[in-house]
Amino acid sequence: MSLWPYVVLTLAAVVFVLARHLGDPWPKVLLPVGTAAAFVAGWHLTCEWLAYDLKQLDGTMRHIELFPTPYQTLVGMERPIVDGTLLRYAVASVYRVAVGFTIAALLAIPIGLLAGWHLRAFQAINPLIQALRPISPIAWIPLAVLWFGVKDSSAVFLIALASFFPIVTGTIAGVRSIPLVYVRSAQNFGLEGFELFRRVVLPAAMPQILISLRIALGIAWMVIVAAEMIAVDSGLGYLIMDARNASNYDRVVGAMIAIGLIGVGLDYGMRQLETFDEVRWGFPKESEAVRNWNIRVAIGGSVRLDK
Amino acid sequence: MSSKASVQPSPPHAASSAAATATKIVVRAVNKTFARKNDELVVLQDVNLDVAEGEFVCLLGPSGCGKSTLLNIIGGFDAPTTGTVEIDGEPVRGPNPRRVFVFQEYGIFPWASVWDNVALGLRDRPKDEQHRIVDHYIELVGLKGFERAYPAEISGGMKQRVAVARALAVSPDVIFMDEPLGALDSLTRLSMRAEILRIWQQERMTILFVTHDVDEALQLADRIVVMSPRPGRIAEIVPVEMSHPRDVGTAEYGDAKNRLYELLGVSHQF
Repeated sequence: MSLWPYVVLTLAAVVFVLARHLGDPWPKVLLPVGTAAAFVAGWHLTCEWLAYDLKQLDGTMRHIELFPTPYQTLVGMERPIVDGTLLRYAVASVYRVAVGFTIAALLAIPIGLLAGWHLRAFQAINPLIQALRPISPIAWIPLAVLWFGVKDSSAVFLIALASFFPIVTGTIAGVRSIPLVYVRSAQNFGLEGFELFRRVVLPAAMPQILISLRIALGIAWMVIVAAEMIAVDSGLGYLIMDARNASNYDRVVGAMIAIGLIGVGLDYGMRQLETFDEVRWGFPKESEAVRNWNIRVAIGGSVRLDK
Repeated sequence: MSSKASVQPSPPHAASSAAATATKIVVRAVNKTFARKNDELVVLQDVNLDVAEGEFVCLLGPSGCGKSTLLNIIGGFDAPTTGTVEIDGEPVRGPNPRRVFVFQEYGIFPWASVWDNVALGLRDRPKDEQHRIVDHYIELVGLKGFERAYPAEISGGMKQRVAVARALAVSPDVIFMDEPLGALDSLTRLSMRAEILRIWQQERMTILFVTHDVDEALQLADRIVVMSPRPGRIAEIVPVEMSHPRDVGTAEYGDAKNRLYELLGVSHQF
């Protein structure tokens, strides 16, 4: 039994109370830190509670643990961190995602713009897209290995496939929801053809394209792990599979955490695109959203308009 | 409109020397119907209208009287079911940069700065000419200092000023305004009315202005085209003889207002 998780939980409670009484920017910093600390403490306690002693046939007791504690996870990751395996595998995974994602974006955005703009193209392409979209990229793994072998290109193909559908459907939706008044303004001032696309259709759809890129990157990062478990012999997914085969569950959990943290970094990078002048209009500021939310709460939570 | 307007030079393509009284827009026997499940919805019925060059005409009527549809047909965004629309003797075939719309929802591009929005219609001109014209009209509508701002950063009234500057920058012969002040608060609306009037008196282009606001029509128009709904028809064309600036307190103004309310079939004696 260890004492520190209870200390951490108490400290987290103090932090939460503190966050209520301190003004901006403190809650934004304190709340996530408090939650993360409470999570780690709860993780450790759960491990302790679930562990039990088993009486073996020869009469000795054996301590059974079902899940590595935070400390054990850290220790299990020591070697991959020190010998550079973790970094090398992380770079391999990010590289595959970057290539596959870029290929998908270069294909999906033009196709989405076209299908969103021309009704006939939409009618022709959309049913096919909608039928292919629900097929999990995981289901393509056997074919990917058959076509590309146990190589990078196999994983890149799966990533491109996984990213393509969210981007193409997001782009189509973005173009189709362009307010008529923008199109009419453009036509009124004589914009047509490629110039109409460059000056109006693309920028008008851009916020939604960026959202779909962000969603696609999240999906791609999830799929890369699955792809690397089977289709290649490096990367974070491979690290998990390799550790599992060695019954090293400390390292399995450590790799999971690495995947989560890198995912946060990728998402943060994508979100920086939303701050450009040309697309900022499509993303209301967080403070604005929070203010609207506060107003909704202030006027009594959910207001029934249908009554 | 008074004949004083002829001090302004007429556009080069105006055939007649008497530019201020030449007919600019001719609408003849225009009908517009939309097919529904079993029958047809008649949106416009036998609309005939002549608008003189440099005239300020308001289309006034309740929602659903077809006034916006009529404006879209004259502007080339929509085609009449039967009938003809001619501008400068040429049938209207589509939207044209010489005849510019100002929409209620502004229609300016949120992804472009104020300056780039105003420059939209000048994109093929040399850079120095763009700068001269854009800066001039941004100043004219009172937005100097906001050139680099984006539409999300300015108020509704300022957005509509951008739309007006964008329209003026191409030196159009005709400006179509589809309830341009409808989204603004009532005080901003009043000041924008005065601005539009000032710009029109300075530039003397033809303006077709759709509104459902009787006071707005009375304060702006040379002639008011009163429309009635279902089917959309011209009920009457009311000339407004009062000179600008119009005094809303006079008996003449009150009488004209009563007359318009009568034509619209509503009483304002509450």
